[in-house]
Amino acid sequence: MKWNVGTKIGTGFGLALAILLAIGVIAYQSSVKQTDTAEWVDHTHLVLQNLEGVLSAMKDAETGQRGYVITGEERYLEPYVAAQTASAQKLKTLRELTKDNSNQQRRLDALEPLIDGKEGKFAELQETIDLRKDKAKGFEAALQVILTDKGKKAMDEIRKVVGDMENEENTLLKSRSDEAQASARNAKFTIVFGTIAAFVFMAVSGFVITRNIAGPLQNLTGIAERITVGDLSVKVSANGRTDEVGVLAHTFDRMTQSLRSMAGAAEQIAAGDLRTTVKPHSPDDVLGNAFARMTENLRQQIQGMIEGASVLGSAATEIVASTSQLSSSATESATAVTETTTTVEEVRQTAQVASQKAKAVSDSAQKVAQISQGGRKSTEDAVAGMNRIRQQMESIAESMVRLSEQSQTIGQIIATVEDLAAQSNLLAVNAAIEAAKAGEHGKGFGVVAQEVKSLAEQSRQATNQVRTILNDIQKATTAAVMATEQGTKAVESGGKQTEAAGESIQALAGSVTEAAQTATQIAASSQQQLVGMDQVAIAMENIKQASTQNVASAKQLEIAARNLGDLGQRLKQMVERYKV
Amino acid sequence: MTDPTNDPERILRERARILARVPEREPVAGAVLELLEFSLAQERYAVENRFVREVCPLKELTPLPCTPPFLLGIVNVRGRILPVLDLKKFFDLPEKGLTDLHRIILVRGEDLELGLLADAISGVSSIAAESLQPSLPTLTGIREDYLQGVTADRLVVLDLARILADPKIVVHEEVES
Repeated sequence: MKWNVGTKIGTGFGLALAILLAIGVIAYQSSVKQTDTAEWVDHTHLVLQNLEGVLSAMKDAETGQRGYVITGEERYLEPYVAAQTASAQKLKTLRELTKDNSNQQRRLDALEPLIDGKEGKFAELQETIDLRKDKAKGFEAALQVILTDKGKKAMDEIRKVVGDMENEENTLLKSRSDEAQASARNAKFTIVFGTIAAFVFMAVSGFVITRNIAGPLQNLTGIAERITVGDLSVKVSANGRTDEVGVLAHTFDRMTQSLRSMAGAAEQIAAGDLRTTVKPHSPDDVLGNAFARMTENLRQQIQGMIEGASVLGSAATEIVASTSQLSSSATESATAVTETTTTVEEVRQTAQVASQKAKAVSDSAQKVAQISQGGRKSTEDAVAGMNRIRQQMESIAESMVRLSEQSQTIGQIIATVEDLAAQSNLLAVNAAIEAAKAGEHGKGFGVVAQEVKSLAEQSRQATNQVRTILNDIQKATTAAVMATEQGTKAVESGGKQTEAAGESIQALAGSVTEAAQTATQIAASSQQQLVGMDQVAIAMENIKQASTQNVASAKQLEIAARNLGDLGQRLKQMVERYKV
Repeated sequence: MTDPTNDPERILRERARILARVPEREPVAGAVLELLEFSLAQERYAVENRFVREVCPLKELTPLPCTPPFLLGIVNVRGRILPVLDLKKFFDLPEKGLTDLHRIILVRGEDLELGLLADAISGVSSIAAESLQPSLPTLTGIREDYLQGVTADRLVVLDLARILADPKIVVHEEVES
């Protein structure tokens, strides 16, 4: 049967509870019995009390009767009357109390006639009382009756019955009290021994359960402790147990196996073999997933590192080359800086000269400002002169127009002269023809005609020359008119330009004044520049020292770069040990 | 500035050159042709003086409709109405256009009087009849027909007698109205 830990603990506690329950029940029963017994004892005492009451009432009745008989006084009958009702009441109570006891009922049946019956006590007493009521002889008669001892017998019987009843009750009382004592003893015994038994049982079962559960757990705790400190060589065996402890041990075993496989994988990775793939045991396997990701990341990183190492190697080589160049460059720059320092010194002297020149420029600018004031007046004069020139140009233009018109007229005259020459020529020809017709007589006339013709020819040539000259004159006149117009326009624009020039010169005067101020400022600035150049010279000296240090540093840097190159090579070798 | 036309030295030299020219040789005895020279379309022509009555400038030319192209029109010379003949059209010479310099040579045949249009009149001259050379072989057509000869200095002498006798110049055209 498979007992798991819960069942074991439940069983132990259940048995303890059962023992406690049994003890409780027994104690309860015993106390109930004692209570019952006590009630019955009370009941018996009540019965006994009532029996005493009945007897007492009977005695009271007898006392009253005797008093009355003796004295005849009515007032002595009071106890008798009271005893009648009291006895009846007591008897009734007794019958109620002893309903469960048939013996006592029977005895009561016997007692009641003895008290209230025809031959009972009260009947005898009533008889005597009635007899005594005769005043004269009543005492005697009553005495007779009493002397019959009838009353005494009745009284004795009553006493006997009551005594029986008391005996019966006392017997009952005794038996009941014995019974109660026995029950109390029983209960005491049960409580004492039951408690001891329960304690013993609880102790035993607690020891057994503790032994059964805590021992293996302690064992597992020790193993877990070793696993915690990283010792995975421990063996966990379930010892064939199938309960929770067994399951726990089994789980521990699996856990150590899993950890061992992880450790093996880690060992491989530590040895540099990154080709293993760690498979997580479940999707929730944090360690497995982390291992898988770690190997993957490591693989990528190592690959990156391999590439990086080669890049680093080549880069280091380049750096070595660069630093060599840097070193030589630093040497060159140091030389250049030395040259620059010399140059700066020259520049400083130049700046000194420039400062003096700027001062001279400032003075001359002041002079120029005064001269420009004079230039302004001159331009105003020039404007007036331009106006005069314009008026003269207008009169020249009018003259030129008139000249042009007159040359036109001359042209017409020349045309007329030319026409005349042509007609003369024709006339000469005609004259020659006529002379030829006249024959020998006309010969002299022919010579004249020839002369006339040559004259006409000369006239024509002269007019041609005049016309040519006139044409030239006309062209020249036209050109002159045009030139005059252009001149007029030019003079107008010249006037405007002169005005503009005046304004410009005015502006120039302002600018020159500003320039004079600026030149003063420049002189001050160049003075400052001179101071600055001195500082620059000092700074250049510092730079020179720094560049000397630079050269030394560059050489150190070169050595460091070589070391870096070696380091890159070593890193490359180190990374190449990893199998990816 | 010296204008070459007004240079006194040049003018003087020109005059000296003209004066130093050898005078033309004396007209030879024998048959002498009296010629009137004129220019027509850049060519120099001449006619015999005996046909010429006078020369005058071309004025108030009135074109005549319904006439051949060579007949330019009619002109009034001192009250006589004379036809004007355009020898350029007649000789198929290039047209230069009408200018004020045109002259008319009034010629008279036996029963015909007319004006010949000329560009310019050069003057009169007389040459020996022997010096007149026959017509040039390059001149063909109608001009060959009316040519009398060519002088030594390439003057084309027109045979005016044949021109005036030519029936072509007699206009006989009717226009149907």
